Amino acid sequence: MKFPRFLRRSVSRKITALVVLSTLAALTVSAAGLIYYSASDYRATKLADVRTQAAVVGRAAAPALAFSDPKDAEQDLLTLAERPDVLHAMLYDAEGKLFAFYARAGYTEPVPQRLDEFSLGIHGERLTLATPIIEDGQRLGTLVIDARYGQRARLLAYTLILGGVTLGALLASLLVSSWLQRAVVEPILGVAAAARGVIERRDLSVRARKTTDDEIGILADAMNSMLADLEREMAERLAAEDALRTADRRKDEFLATLAHELRNPLAPIRNALYILRMEGADAAALSEARAIIDRQVLQMVRLVDDLLEVSRITTGKLRLRRERVELRKVASAALEAVEPIIRERGHTLVVTLPPPGLTIEADPTRLSQVFLNLLNNAAKFTPQGGRIEFALEVRNGEIAARVRDDGVGIAPDMIEPIFEMFAQADRSLERTTMGLGVGLSLSRRLMELHGGTIEARSDGANRGAEFVARMPAAGAEMSIHSIETATRLPAAEGNGRPSVLVVDDNEDFAITFARMLRARGYEVRVEHDGLAGLTAAQSSPPDVAFLDIGMPKLNGYELARHLRALPATSHAILIAVTGWGQDEDRARTEQAGFDGHLVKPIDPGALLSLLASLSKTPPTPAA
Amino acid sequence: MRALAPLVLAAAVLAPGLTRAELENEVKAAYLYRFLSYLEWPPPDLDGDGSPFVIGVVGADDVYEALREIVQGRSAQGRAIEVRRLKEGDDTLGVHMVFVGRAAAGSLGKMASRKAIVVGEVEGALERGAAINLVRTADHVRFEVAPQVAERKGVRISSRMLSVAARVETGAP
Repeated sequence: MKFPRFLRRSVSRKITALVVLSTLAALTVSAAGLIYYSASDYRATKLADVRTQAAVVGRAAAPALAFSDPKDAEQDLLTLAERPDVLHAMLYDAEGKLFAFYARAGYTEPVPQRLDEFSLGIHGERLTLATPIIEDGQRLGTLVIDARYGQRARLLAYTLILGGVTLGALLASLLVSSWLQRAVVEPILGVAAAARGVIERRDLSVRARKTTDDEIGILADAMNSMLADLEREMAERLAAEDALRTADRRKDEFLATLAHELRNPLAPIRNALYILRMEGADAAALSEARAIIDRQVLQMVRLVDDLLEVSRITTGKLRLRRERVELRKVASAALEAVEPIIRERGHTLVVTLPPPGLTIEADPTRLSQVFLNLLNNAAKFTPQGGRIEFALEVRNGEIAARVRDDGVGIAPDMIEPIFEMFAQADRSLERTTMGLGVGLSLSRRLMELHGGTIEARSDGANRGAEFVARMPAAGAEMSIHSIETATRLPAAEGNGRPSVLVVDDNEDFAITFARMLRARGYEVRVEHDGLAGLTAAQSSPPDVAFLDIGMPKLNGYELARHLRALPATSHAILIAVTGWGQDEDRARTEQAGFDGHLVKPIDPGALLSLLASLSKTPPTPAA
Repeated sequence: MRALAPLVLAAAVLAPGLTRAELENEVKAAYLYRFLSYLEWPPPDLDGDGSPFVIGVVGADDVYEALREIVQGRSAQGRAIEVRRLKEGDDTLGVHMVFVGRAAAGSLGKMASRKAIVVGEVEGALERGAAINLVRTADHVRFEVAPQVAERKGVRISSRMLSVAARVETGAP
């Protein structure tokens, strides 16, 4: 339905219009019916009435006509004076001549002398009726009554009354509509006001007030629940956007830091190389240059390791390799690794360890990595000569590793953020600490994979910090039986040292690697592609083969399979040496028949102790 | 059917060919005819068999003539009307109403003692036993009625007729 413009904007006006117009329509129709009925009824009633009157008067006047007594007839006609609507009445005799008449007082119209001068019927407001006067079958004359018809006046009166009624009804309907507005419109207006508030102020916390249980109440409920949903979703979205922005910013900072941290070791390495090439450099300078290169390369290796861990975390590929392991050994590995920096910075390390022989189910490498991270942080963030405590306890079915220092501490608002990826508490250019901001985040993730947590506590800046890593002591038990290392020790040949085959297409790596092994007395052959490696192995089967994976002609996997298939080389120890260190890379090499998987760059000390463990002769002590 | 004479005597001037006396007789004859409509006879006198009204006329030949003309083809209360010329002393058996003219006024009392209703036209006729008496005013013929006289003969006079009577005799005669 198309409403006029002024109605379209307001429900309240529509309801008023609805009530008033429908009232008006109903009243108009009923008034029209009433007036029509009244008019037609009035005509019939009036005619019957006047006819009856005429019959009565006519009968009364009959004897007067019969015996020619006009005075008596006039007396009879005079009874019509009781009827104000009768203007005049005339009696005509049988010949149609005026016999007697009555005229209302003040009525001056001339009286027709003959009957045939009349026009009978209703003319406007005049009703003229002729009644024959018949006595005993004889027509004595005619009575003519001239009366006011009164229809117009009556219609006027009716119209006035109906107009009054209509007016009253409209007033009543306005009252009704104002009541309806309170009952119907106000709840709607409440909902509409809420909707307007949402649209105009973008305020999703607005709620429509529910005042009724009818459809409008349902509407209010629906709107409120939608608003609540919207509000919650908007909040989530804003939070998500915020988190994304933060993550994005961290990533940018991380990349900047990464570039910086990778570049940093290059300068001292370059300087050290320059010193090594210098002629006439003294032994102390050369030794210091080598130590610098060693340290800086180690630092770079750590950075790249961290990067790989970041990759694992972000792609969800971080997995544990659980095994039964002695808790003390896990701690020892970490303590050994952190020892150089502790010493370098002159810290005092106080260690509390669980009794020997306590074993748990865990990934020893990862758990050790967590301890190392915490220790490393403590060492880094504590000024020279600080005190660091490391306590590892098993209590109440829980393993707790506690690392406490008296270093720079953590501001209260940084305690949680430091666990986030790439977070750096100190972003100043003057910072003295290094790292990518990955360690704590990685550690927390690793503890979570173990079903545990990491928490940080600090009394504030420069008041030291305490980190506690906890995990359930799953399968913790005391055992004195040491883990048996499955070894298929190859029979040593000749001088008792295993013969070694190195196949790698990177000639620099192959040559330096071989030189390192030969310096330790191993017999080493070097090939630069897979096919040549296979030929060399066939002609003289090695005890141990270090094989690169990506090689021309025959790749490392294929070479390993061939070697495993050949009777002469099927028992050789095959070790993959590759830049690929992810879990699936390890799985592939294992599947191809490798016994071990080393990731470049290789720590020479670790390599040599590995080789030594494979030989009959006692190994040189591991670094 | 002859038209009834104008009942107003003054109309004589408008009715050429009629003298005043002739007009008066016409009017009286018309009255006699019309009285029938307002009189009510008991059943034995007026059977339900449709027998005619009988009007006797004594001593008024002109009225007799006029009445004969008037009743020609007319009826009263659904009955035909028979007009008889009577002589003084004639039997009135079977006659409903007798008009005793001026000329026979002497026999009024005798006529009145009989069954028929007597209509006179002389002063004091009611006192002499007539039930109805026609009287002349300036230019009208009016009538006087003695309803109790009629009633003694079992005839009722309509009150509507009484309403136009010049005089109604109420006391006992």
